[in-house]
Amino acid sequence: MLTYIIRRLLHTVLVIFVISLIIFFSIRLTGDPVSVMFSAGEPSKEAIEEVRKNLGLDKPVYEQYFIFLKGLVTLDLGESFRSGTSVTSLILERLGATLALAFGGIVVAMAIAFPVGILSAVKRGTSIDFFGRIFSLIGISFPNFWLGIMLILVFAVHLRWLPSSGFESFSHLILPSITLGMILSGILARLVRSSMLEVMNQQYISTAKSKGISEWSVIIKHAFRNALLPTITFLGIQFGSLLGGTVIVEQVFAWPGVGRLIIDAINQRDYPVIQGGVIFLAVIMVLVNLIVDISYSFIDPRIKTGKGA
Amino acid sequence: MKKMKKQFLVISMMLILILSACSNGSSSTDSSNNSNDGGGSTDETNPAAERGNEIVVGVSGDPQNWDPIDTFLLDWGTVAISVYEGLVERTLDLELVPGLAESWEYTDDKTIVFKLREGVEFHNGEPFNAEAVKFTFDRLLGEEGQKGPQYSNYTSIENVEVVDEFTVQMNLNSPDPVLITKLAGYGAVIVPPNYVQENTDDHFNNNPVGTGPFKMVSYQRDQETVLEKNENYWKEGLPKLDKVTFKIIPEASTRLAELQTGNIDIMKRVEVAQAETVKEASYLELKEVGTPTVFSLRFDTAKEPLGDVRVRQAINYAIDKDAIISEILGGYGKSISTFQSELSFGNNPDLEPYPYDPEKAKALLKEAGVAEGTSLDVFIPGNDGNFKEIVQVVAFYLEEVGLKLNINSVDNTTLISDLIPKGDAGHMYRQGWGGWTLDYDNTAYLMYHEGEQWNPSFKNDKVEELLEAQRATVDQEERKAIFMELTELLHELAPEVNLYQAVDLYGVNKRLQGFQPPHDDRMRLEEVSVE
Repeated sequence: MLTYIIRRLLHTVLVIFVISLIIFFSIRLTGDPVSVMFSAGEPSKEAIEEVRKNLGLDKPVYEQYFIFLKGLVTLDLGESFRSGTSVTSLILERLGATLALAFGGIVVAMAIAFPVGILSAVKRGTSIDFFGRIFSLIGISFPNFWLGIMLILVFAVHLRWLPSSGFESFSHLILPSITLGMILSGILARLVRSSMLEVMNQQYISTAKSKGISEWSVIIKHAFRNALLPTITFLGIQFGSLLGGTVIVEQVFAWPGVGRLIIDAINQRDYPVIQGGVIFLAVIMVLVNLIVDISYSFIDPRIKTGKGA
Repeated sequence: MKKMKKQFLVISMMLILILSACSNGSSSTDSSNNSNDGGGSTDETNPAAERGNEIVVGVSGDPQNWDPIDTFLLDWGTVAISVYEGLVERTLDLELVPGLAESWEYTDDKTIVFKLREGVEFHNGEPFNAEAVKFTFDRLLGEEGQKGPQYSNYTSIENVEVVDEFTVQMNLNSPDPVLITKLAGYGAVIVPPNYVQENTDDHFNNNPVGTGPFKMVSYQRDQETVLEKNENYWKEGLPKLDKVTFKIIPEASTRLAELQTGNIDIMKRVEVAQAETVKEASYLELKEVGTPTVFSLRFDTAKEPLGDVRVRQAINYAIDKDAIISEILGGYGKSISTFQSELSFGNNPDLEPYPYDPEKAKALLKEAGVAEGTSLDVFIPGNDGNFKEIVQVVAFYLEEVGLKLNINSVDNTTLISDLIPKGDAGHMYRQGWGGWTLDYDNTAYLMYHEGEQWNPSFKNDKVEELLEAQRATVDQEERKAIFMELTELLHELAPEVNLYQAVDLYGVNKRLQGFQPPHDDRMRLEEVSVE
């Protein structure tokens, strides 16, 4: 187990290195942070050169890359061109909001998708199954900005039950979580349904049933627990991508998350923030994957990671 | 068979549910409009009525950094106008009036003496005096200022000397006719010397201190900025409000929802499509104001056939700009004859925009030998939905005169910082500009002077001569005469199709008294009160 984890961590270092290369050079392909900075002043060529020098952009690109790598090793991601604040603290101050939203979305998704998926599988071919499948399809097809705005119109403007934007209290988390969770629940419910169907056909389920265990006990204790495996992989990966990929929901609900930070930085060509933000997300993604893999051994006794890896 | 029937029933029920949810959604905006029909009780009462002597403003962006020498953003100006003040102030009617300087006098072309206001204090209790003014300009023009985007606006200032505690002398290295206007600009607001020196750069970026009517008491990046009344403000009896909160809400639909529910009192950047909703709510009003920002389709004159002035004129004649303003912009836009707004010093009110005359356009194209079906590339920013519609209409007009327009939607940052400077933005591209000094000098120099960042190819000797001539004098009458000649010439040379001057829309809760929307995004709130 330990060697497995060490190997995976070494693997992570390699992944981060490759990502740092890609992100560093690709953002330098288009646009120029200094002209963007000057977009309302009277930039003389000299002034632009001066600022470029101050930001260290006059050095050869490979040298800039080594400076960046050196910082990365010492966990110093540099300072934002725009705010002058360290990138690490910019990310950290948004981490709470980002985690809250990702958790909220996953919880809503599970709360909807697990019952729908299980019911669909158990009552396969009935109108309940049909309803469940239609629900999944709707969930998958909703554009989330539309759903977000509709939820705001109904629950904030019309009914006045919930606040429509900001990151202040628990009630502020509800609408964005539902928006994220609804979209996710569509795919998740289908996944739960299909893996439940697969498991329900296994012999051990028939065995369990023949022992006279009650139907729902078989479904939850035996079938669902086994059907969870692919679901967990999916949720793990989703959680990783939710940390950076909820920009649209963040935009609609004025949520101060990491996604908005990176998108704003891309628009401003704020190199240190883009680099730091993407590396941060990559690390999270790799770690979440690792945790998911390790968690298998706890859920599924058949998998012994020592042998498996 | 029975099962199929059942399934059909389920489908129809679901469809009904979805449809009713949708119509509920849209009628909720409508219901707040029909307050007179006795709709819901919520429509009659003002949802913000209970807030007390404070207001909340919904803005679209966060400047990220409050240090005046590090910024150029309109979002900065919206809030910072309440925190900082300059020697000179620009009122909501764009008049230049004494600010922290009581008066000033040019002793010669290159020397100005400012008499400073006495008894003014910064929010932290530091006194405002000649030392503070000197410190501010030393900082702006020194090493620290040179790292930022404001420095280059003030390079005509050689230095500032302290004459006595409340008098300073500003020495210029060359006459600058726009200097007094610039002193009302972002980079020249006065900062407290001790506070800036005793704290780190990062601290000042996040905790600004000035002399303005409100002091900043909290700032949460990308969330909200809270200002409280400056009890020691030098203007008698002002400000009237105790507290102002700026909430950052990037999405316009969400800002509107917050305005409708009374969570905010002022909504900045109401979109044209939202104007009616705001107007029809009994407790809201829509305020419109002309801005210095103008939009054009700029030609790259290095690309044939646009090197020929007749072709450029023909395209100007071919497009019905008034129809674009009334149909796509809902009338919230104003026509312009040159690339500046009516607010700009140097605007020529006698000059008429090119009229819509497709026959003349065809004749000019024929005369210039442009073949029927010649195709042109236009580059526009992908994030501007309004402009995309405008360009589609332009494509239609150009097709009417035998030109084909290929529309290329690209990332805005790439367009302005990369493609345009390199001359890679097709035959024509969207060019927007605000001219922060409200003086044509800023716009015209950047757009038409050879070799400027945003002028990839336009070149004309007479234009250069006039641009230099207006910079060489501080006699404003003389400059005006030069600008009249310059505008006529540029109108004739047609380096762009001037489309419109932007109009900003603000949604305002009626409990506010005395709110006047700013032309330049600088939301002055000291005179605002609540019912």
